[in-house]
Amino acid sequence: MYLIGNIAIYLGVVISLYGIIANIIGMKRKSSKWLESGRGAVLSLAFISSIASFMLLYILGTSQFQYKYVASYTNESLPMVYKLTAFWAGNAGSLLLWAFLLALYAAMVVFSKEKKNPMMPYVSSILMVNILFFFTVMALNANPFEMTDRIPADGKGLNPMLQNPGMILHPVTLYMGYVGLAVPFAFGIAALILKKMDSEWIKLTRRWTLLAWLFLTLGNVIGGWWAYLELGWGGYWAWDPVENASFLPWLTVSAFLHSVMIQERKNMLKTWNVSLIILSYILTLFGTFLVRSGILTSVHAFGDSNLGTYFLVFMAFMMLFSLYIVMTRYGLIKKDSSPIEAYFSKESSFLLNNLILVAAAFAVFWGTMYPLISETFTGTKVNVGAPYFNKVMAPILLALIVLMGICPLIAWQKAVFEKFMKNTLWPLAMGVVTAIILFAAGIDGIYAVVGLSATSFMLGTHLLEFARGISARRKATKENVLKAAFKLTMKNQRRYGGYIVHIGIALIAVGVIASHSYSTEVLKTVVAGNSITIGEYSLKFNELTEHTKNGNGIVVADIDVTYKGKDIGKIKPEKIFYETWPEPSTEVAIKTNWSQDLYVVLSSWETKDKVTFMVKVNPFVSWIWAGGIIMVIGTAFALAGGRPTSFRFQKNKGTAQTGR
Amino acid sequence: MKKKIILTTLLLLIVIPGLTTAFTYNSKEFKHIISQLDMQGHADHELSTCSVKKIYYDEVVEMLNGGKTEGQIIQSYVDEYGQAALRTPGGGTSGWIAWGMPAAGFGIGSVIVGVWLRKLTRKKAEMQLETKSGWDSEIEKEIAAKIFDEERRKLF
Repeated sequence: MYLIGNIAIYLGVVISLYGIIANIIGMKRKSSKWLESGRGAVLSLAFISSIASFMLLYILGTSQFQYKYVASYTNESLPMVYKLTAFWAGNAGSLLLWAFLLALYAAMVVFSKEKKNPMMPYVSSILMVNILFFFTVMALNANPFEMTDRIPADGKGLNPMLQNPGMILHPVTLYMGYVGLAVPFAFGIAALILKKMDSEWIKLTRRWTLLAWLFLTLGNVIGGWWAYLELGWGGYWAWDPVENASFLPWLTVSAFLHSVMIQERKNMLKTWNVSLIILSYILTLFGTFLVRSGILTSVHAFGDSNLGTYFLVFMAFMMLFSLYIVMTRYGLIKKDSSPIEAYFSKESSFLLNNLILVAAAFAVFWGTMYPLISETFTGTKVNVGAPYFNKVMAPILLALIVLMGICPLIAWQKAVFEKFMKNTLWPLAMGVVTAIILFAAGIDGIYAVVGLSATSFMLGTHLLEFARGISARRKATKENVLKAAFKLTMKNQRRYGGYIVHIGIALIAVGVIASHSYSTEVLKTVVAGNSITIGEYSLKFNELTEHTKNGNGIVVADIDVTYKGKDIGKIKPEKIFYETWPEPSTEVAIKTNWSQDLYVVLSSWETKDKVTFMVKVNPFVSWIWAGGIIMVIGTAFALAGGRPTSFRFQKNKGTAQTGR
Repeated sequence: MKKKIILTTLLLLIVIPGLTTAFTYNSKEFKHIISQLDMQGHADHELSTCSVKKIYYDEVVEMLNGGKTEGQIIQSYVDEYGQAALRTPGGGTSGWIAWGMPAAGFGIGSVIVGVWLRKLTRKKAEMQLETKSGWDSEIEKEIAAKIFDEERRKLF
């Protein structure tokens, strides 16, 4: 087992090196034999990384503590599912997962129907450079198959915070998002190397980019949900450096997904688009660097890691390489771009959207790095925590929501202001009515009311867009509403998929604004039989009991809950004392309805009958999770259908305007 | 005199409870202060499992009950730990840079986008001088509208 695992790691280094060389020779000599051999190398890498991954899963599942990695992250009593998810709990395993996914993606790309595309040898070489890096780091510094000096009787176990269903999905989805961005990056660079200045690379990578964005969205939402359930502080997003690191590429890819539409239609923003995808890819490396370098304090960081230098060097290399390629092709990219017809057009609004998204990314980056920057330049560490990000990001995200409400109503090329105003009337009325209702209901907090009204306006725009499309279709085809709605959406999955994503964002915005502005909290010590009242909830503490499960001691509080005087059942917050972990873990108890969450944490106890609880009422948090699901559905919808615009554009207009 | 005694007693009964109300973890003032403190990086930790956070909570409650104001409490931590005691950048050059940079970034970005947009639309205006646009007559416009409508129906 040891031998197979190690051979797989070292073979990974050798084969990726060989693949790169084979591709270079093949491209130089124009030899299909060498290029075919390079393709074979990619397939071998996928095979080898699969073997290494299955090996690691096997030794984790069978608790082979002679391996350092197994002994460090698992123990005998750990449930099987968490033994297996320990695959990505540590540095070495997560690097192997990265290499495995990258090799798999590379094989899918290289053996796709575009395998004869002249860009492919370059694409596969760039992807193999990435694979080479990960296998090299594993071989030199983080080998998951390293043996212990003495075989321990039992392992150290997995951090209790990682023993949650979130651990199954959150890291994997984020990695799939990170790794997925390597594909459009490789295509973008390949197109530049080949001086192919058209939109072909965008057309070929549209689904890859969307898929990566889908996984990043999913990863971030699941991460928030996990934090909400597991960390016990009542929030879902702490603006932790590593959370920010996964949010950064999400923001830049969001900008990219919008700006590519302009390139597809107008053949402009070519430099900008390629820069955005390079930036997004570099930011994924930056995120990985942050987790592994230990330069910033984070709950997500891997302990005792010295891999930061490797990632810094690789990041710098990729950045300089990309910069060189872009600079040497800059003159060519600038040629053949079309002008914008008018200031008031969808093109301009997309530029504004890009500005806001990139400004948001810059603000997050700046806040994340500021403690380090201030310490380096002034010698004084200045903390930048959640209150800073909330204040800085609130106006930026508000502007984005308003723009999301305006943008779908503006026509391409040249919008007519009167028509725009006419279209805006209903969504605007919806926003104003929301504000009036909120004020009339006695809801205070002007910023929250403005935010909720803007969100209502944005939602109104999208509902109106659906309603108008359905109505136009019914007029022409006399179909019933449902059929018209279905066919309309199927006819243009890309556009309406995007709208569904926006509706998901509206729900998330409602959840975020409401839970930030109207959350209430009580920290109270009660004796058995007494109650805590918070909002319209009343919680009667009955008793504290203790039992053992899987060798861990569990303390449970039994509480009866009434809502508006009605009995709604029991709630049982827990504290788990792990055999293998010094700190106890909190199991939050949550009762959810459509408008609020009752969030109870068993904080501490003096005796069995005198217990302290932290109780929160978080309004509309469930809307965040619902919004996340809707976003995923919308993205999947856009992903499943939708021919790139460039295709239609070129078919109609010929090749003269596309700059070929 | 009797009246005075009764009035004073009533006044004391009203005022004293207000003066002696002890601050707790649930007090608004306490929550406001605690939300500003970084607590040596433990601010987002769960209270029951974080001893550092617990010490801060108890200290702040004690200071509040000792009669200290919010400003004095915050200042006492800044004196002890410097700006690192706070969760958000305070005053001074460093604080201004932290707060101002995102705004500056947005401002610079806006200028770049503005100039870019102007350049691109001007390019279009120059091109338009060479090409004729618009309808020759109302009839032509009507015919085109009918064709568009017909095409739209076909598409559906």
